[in-house]
Amino acid sequence: MAQLRLSGLTKSYGSVHALRGIDLEVEDGEFFVLFGPSAAGKTTTLRVIAGLEKPDGGTLTVDGHDLSGVPVKRRDMAMVFQSFALYPHLTTFQNLAYPLREMKLRRAEIDSRVRETAELLRITHTLDRRPASLSGGEQQRLAIGRAIIRRPRLFLFDEPLTNLDAKLRHDMRAEFKRLHREIGTTTLYATPDQLEALSIGERVAVIQHGRITQVDTPDRLYARPVDRHVASLIGDPPINLVRGTLKPSSAGAPAIELPFMELDGDRWREGLQALESGTELLVGIRPHDLALVDDGAGGVPATIEITEPQGDITILDLKAAGVPLRMVVAEATGARYTAGDSVHISLAGADTRLFLSDSGTMVA
Amino acid sequence: MARKRREIGKAGWRRTAFSTVISFIYFFPVLWIILTAFKSHTDALSTPPKFIFTPTLENFANVFARAYERGGAAVDTHFDLFFFNSIFIAGASVGVALIIGTIAAYGFSRWPLKGNETYLFIILTTRMLPPIIVIIPIFIMFRLSGLSGSYIGIILLYAAFNLPFTIWMMKSFFDEIPREVEDAARMDGSSEMKIFFRICLPQVKAGIAATAVFGLILTWNEFLFALLLTGRDTRTVPVAMAQTIGGDIGVRWGLLAAIETLFLIPVVIVTFLLQNQLLRGVTFGTIRR
Repeated sequence: MAQLRLSGLTKSYGSVHALRGIDLEVEDGEFFVLFGPSAAGKTTTLRVIAGLEKPDGGTLTVDGHDLSGVPVKRRDMAMVFQSFALYPHLTTFQNLAYPLREMKLRRAEIDSRVRETAELLRITHTLDRRPASLSGGEQQRLAIGRAIIRRPRLFLFDEPLTNLDAKLRHDMRAEFKRLHREIGTTTLYATPDQLEALSIGERVAVIQHGRITQVDTPDRLYARPVDRHVASLIGDPPINLVRGTLKPSSAGAPAIELPFMELDGDRWREGLQALESGTELLVGIRPHDLALVDDGAGGVPATIEITEPQGDITILDLKAAGVPLRMVVAEATGARYTAGDSVHISLAGADTRLFLSDSGTMVA
Repeated sequence: MARKRREIGKAGWRRTAFSTVISFIYFFPVLWIILTAFKSHTDALSTPPKFIFTPTLENFANVFARAYERGGAAVDTHFDLFFFNSIFIAGASVGVALIIGTIAAYGFSRWPLKGNETYLFIILTTRMLPPIIVIIPIFIMFRLSGLSGSYIGIILLYAAFNLPFTIWMMKSFFDEIPREVEDAARMDGSSEMKIFFRICLPQVKAGIAATAVFGLILTWNEFLFALLLTGRDTRTVPVAMAQTIGGDIGVRWGLLAAIETLFLIPVVIVTFLLQNQLLRGVTFGTIRR
């Protein structure tokens, strides 16, 4: 059990700035996700916390104790690596027993804990085998097993599911939730997969170019991204960002001029107040917020460029007044259209967000 | 074995036959020597060479004890000692080179110095010139330090010969081990010592075997330095073999062939024992992941 606090953590490799000041607070027992594209600094952050890398600056405390100068083995943390990093020359049993042997536990204790952990992760049948002969899922569970068997105060998971196939990844996500419920240890989990981040994190920190841009619950991250970058990282298919200009409408209420329509700005009145008319904006429209409407019902005309059936839904790639848009429709609806068809669309839903065109920060 | 047979099957009998012929051509000189070892003195000298003859073990007996041309009692040739010397010196020098070289290679791989590549290059340059160039300084150094004729001298020298190769070879094996595996051990509470011995060394077993075989063969066959730097009691087989040529017994081809045949056995055994590791060693990194 541990509360983790990072402040102003920096780390460079030569001229590459991996971390540019990371501030983070992870509560005791929390399942916290570090989400960001590859090379954003996730792995470096975890390695600095683990003590495998020395930070150039900033502080790192667990339960209020400064960890600088505390060697790796005394930090009492366990890490699951992206490559699993199993000991290839040792059997499953020996892999699991390794950390316990380092703790100098008695044989009987080691034996019972290994079996208990193998049971929990359903790898008992592999105890006498070496990692090379295990399936991907078994290797993964073994890597987790080696981490949890020590009962450390903090777990660090570095993209543990990236090397697995899609089906297995889905199963393992549930597994992580189950494990966390059973063990309850504070967990920091890094992933480049937004689906993973949103589905297993209690709170998610978005990390980009070595900086944390937003820390929030998954639903707020989706609904209220702080800037256009976070907005485009979260949500699948990704959000449509359309250039628009702020202009006062005839009635004096704000309106946003998009290439294909004029958007009533009343909904964002508070946020727009401070802005001058003529300000360039980016309008973030979720693909789920676009709908097809009957011809002549006042919709915006658009042409279908590509249809991408996904099974239950179909993604339509449209062009409206030269602007590419992506929308999602039910499979049955999507099946009625092919590339080149003309349709009419309307904007529904309240998740449309406005961002400043130059800085990308959210306005409303 | 089962796997080998299947592979032969896969290549097809034509190709198998073809490679058998080629192998036979390459192996022919060795075969000639082995046959000669079993020939009597007259058979060995006959032209054209005889391929069908009555085999004799006389030559092998003569290796260890023989009577001189003009008769008299058989004299101990001390060849048992020379064989022991060859085995001991090769084994010990390769052992020393492996111990030092493996640790050095791990250092070069995991704790690179400033200018790591330069150091590695410098180490390799020691093998770039023909050894004969340095023979005079080494001879004088050995004389002055009293290492001439001692086991320790020749063992150290051979170890030094083998070191560059060992370091380079072992470094590439250590480079292949993902660092994350070591980090995992670090997090599991292992000291750096333990990481080296318990985690890294077992993973480069194949590399150690491959390096050992190459080193053994090199040392085993070395003649020049052994000739100059070993004494009567530390003489190795190649030197002793050369000294049986000439003198009052003339060139006894059968005897020489017998020595060579015996000389082949240890290398063949070691290579055979390590062949699985050797194959893995040579193909290391090409099949993993």
